[in-house]
Amino acid sequence: MGRITLEKVTKSFGAIDVLHGIDLDIGEGEFVVFVGPSGCGKSTLLRQIAGLDKPTSGEIRIDGTLVNDVPASDRGLAMVFQSYALYPHMSVRQNLAFGLENARMPKAEIDARIAEAARMLEIGDYLERRPGQLSGGQRQRVAIGRAIVRNPTAFLLDEPLSNLDAELRISMRAELAALHARLKTTMIYVTHDQIEAMTLADRIVVLRKGRVEQVGSPLELYNRPANRFVAGFIGAPSMNFLSGRIEGVSGAGTQLRLFDGELVTVPRVAEANQVGQDVSVGLRPQHMRVARDGENGVPVTIDMVEALGSETVVHAHASTGELVLAVLQGQHNLSRGDSLKFAYDPADLHLFDKNGARVSGT
Amino acid sequence: MKANGLLSASQSALMAVVGRLMGIIDVPLRYLQRKTGQTGMAAFFLAPNMAIFTVFVLVPFVINFVYSLTGGSAIFLSERSFVGAEQYSEIFACGNYLDPNSCKQDVFWIAAGNTAAFVVLQVSLMIVAALITALILNREIIGRGFWRAVFFFPVLLSPVVTGLIWRWIFQRQGVLNGVMQGLGLEPHDWLTERNSAFFASIGVSIWAHVGFYTLILLAGLQAIPKDLYEAAQMDGTSRQRVFWRITLPLLMPNLIVVLVLALIKAVQIFDEAFVLTHGGPGTSTMYLVQYIYETGFASELRNPGLAAAASILMGAVLVVLTLVQMAASRRNEKKGAR
Repeated sequence: MGRITLEKVTKSFGAIDVLHGIDLDIGEGEFVVFVGPSGCGKSTLLRQIAGLDKPTSGEIRIDGTLVNDVPASDRGLAMVFQSYALYPHMSVRQNLAFGLENARMPKAEIDARIAEAARMLEIGDYLERRPGQLSGGQRQRVAIGRAIVRNPTAFLLDEPLSNLDAELRISMRAELAALHARLKTTMIYVTHDQIEAMTLADRIVVLRKGRVEQVGSPLELYNRPANRFVAGFIGAPSMNFLSGRIEGVSGAGTQLRLFDGELVTVPRVAEANQVGQDVSVGLRPQHMRVARDGENGVPVTIDMVEALGSETVVHAHASTGELVLAVLQGQHNLSRGDSLKFAYDPADLHLFDKNGARVSGT
Repeated sequence: MKANGLLSASQSALMAVVGRLMGIIDVPLRYLQRKTGQTGMAAFFLAPNMAIFTVFVLVPFVINFVYSLTGGSAIFLSERSFVGAEQYSEIFACGNYLDPNSCKQDVFWIAAGNTAAFVVLQVSLMIVAALITALILNREIIGRGFWRAVFFFPVLLSPVVTGLIWRWIFQRQGVLNGVMQGLGLEPHDWLTERNSAFFASIGVSIWAHVGFYTLILLAGLQAIPKDLYEAAQMDGTSRQRVFWRITLPLLMPNLIVVLVLALIKAVQIFDEAFVLTHGGPGTSTMYLVQYIYETGFASELRNPGLAAAASILMGAVLVVLTLVQMAASRRNEKKGAR
């Protein structure tokens, strides 16, 4: 139970199209994260699934049943809101019980469910308090508790950690992952924070301007982004993009001429018709290191150095003015104005054509 | 760019003038602060407001209280004799407090009874009307801005104009009877029949003020986060339960404000009702403020002392109502309803 299928789901507000034919199949017990920049339609998509909005066209199925016209409360889903949406005039216990009372559940059953959720989320000590008397983290737990007591087929979480401070966000993230492992219930989680997406998701759905850019596991998206947008969005800091041209293809791979004239061979074979094309060459900051004397690499001049102890973040620019960011392991004696080369493994290069799509074969 | 340059030049010239003025004001203020300290400065800035309050509220209140301890029909205090609490005794001289006719000042008690009935009915109907109007205007209805203006418009009218409009509608040869006759119905003496005159004064008062209270409730409704309604939707809450369990409790702070303001305003009912019915027929729409006005200024045997005593008693009722409101607000804050 908890399989959610979307077929060609669109949503328009007047003349503005927000979702453009979303197709998605979310498996039972899966933790799926919708990620994308602000305004990409991720929360709108979640609201269509929740039943808070009705899609303009397309079909939404839960466990095979078409639910387009089924009210939100009858879809068997529970939602955790960004603002928590706890009823401020009710105690924590009343907040947890409210939905169950609506369903006319016997009091003993309500009490049992509240006790179980309180034990699971460690909120038993403040069941009689009101939300206004709780910290942000405690409110977050109560909001999750309100979802848990409903025993839903799937949880919908709309940026649930965005109101918490950085430290609490990290600990709540771990708790959410543990909760999913324990409950094994389908979870759909909306965030604009790609680190949350990477750490929590079984699969990530990257959205941009109401379209799905790529669906895959966190490492699939990191290692083989389908396009330049996904490549830039997934991974922190963002991937560097340099200019280059495909000079030829052979059994050994794709010969690439970089902006500085250096010829490198990417050990993946592009299609022959790509030869001669200008490409955008992606290279993650973590995949660079300071080149040894005589070693090839991207020539740069350093603009700023951030020494973080375990790693050193170097902001630099190439001779063409393209910005290059490198995350170097360990501590380095570098300073502003230094000229050096960043070496890399050609296998770590990602090639994108002028439309931003991954060059086929690479 | 030129315009921007001119603008910034004029702005800097203005700033220079303001700066110079501030410099001039600064000198005596600094001197004052040196002499009086921070507390003295606070008193200095509060003084104008306190002076206005003293002249227009405190002094008239004290004078009014002194009047209530004097007797006779003379206006000037120097020509009036001190009678102590005689005016209050006069008011409270009753054979049976449940029967106004047994009181020496029967009209006072009739007016007090009318006012009490008016307050109870007008305030409860007003709150219900304002709440329903606010709930409707809070929805996505066509021409919402227009309807909000329509409901608020009567608030802008002078009470005398309001009274005259409705007298024109309700009088024997008025618009309402004209419409009724047009529909083949018998005309009615709206303002000369006791009950209908009383209810007409309530209706007119509600019409005149409901827009103001609607605005307060509307602001409260709009302050309730939309997320709560969506959470309730996910929780499968019926519309009635949403109203009783979410909207109403979260609107309570605004409802308390509306209740108290409406109560105070209702106790003070005078102008539109006076223009509408002149307190008639008989004394059926005679309210306390009209009694005070007529006793003090308009009757042939005017008695400013008795009017002052009646107004002090009415003031005491208003103080009690305000204290109740403050206690209710504090209780609500403590409960942390928001």
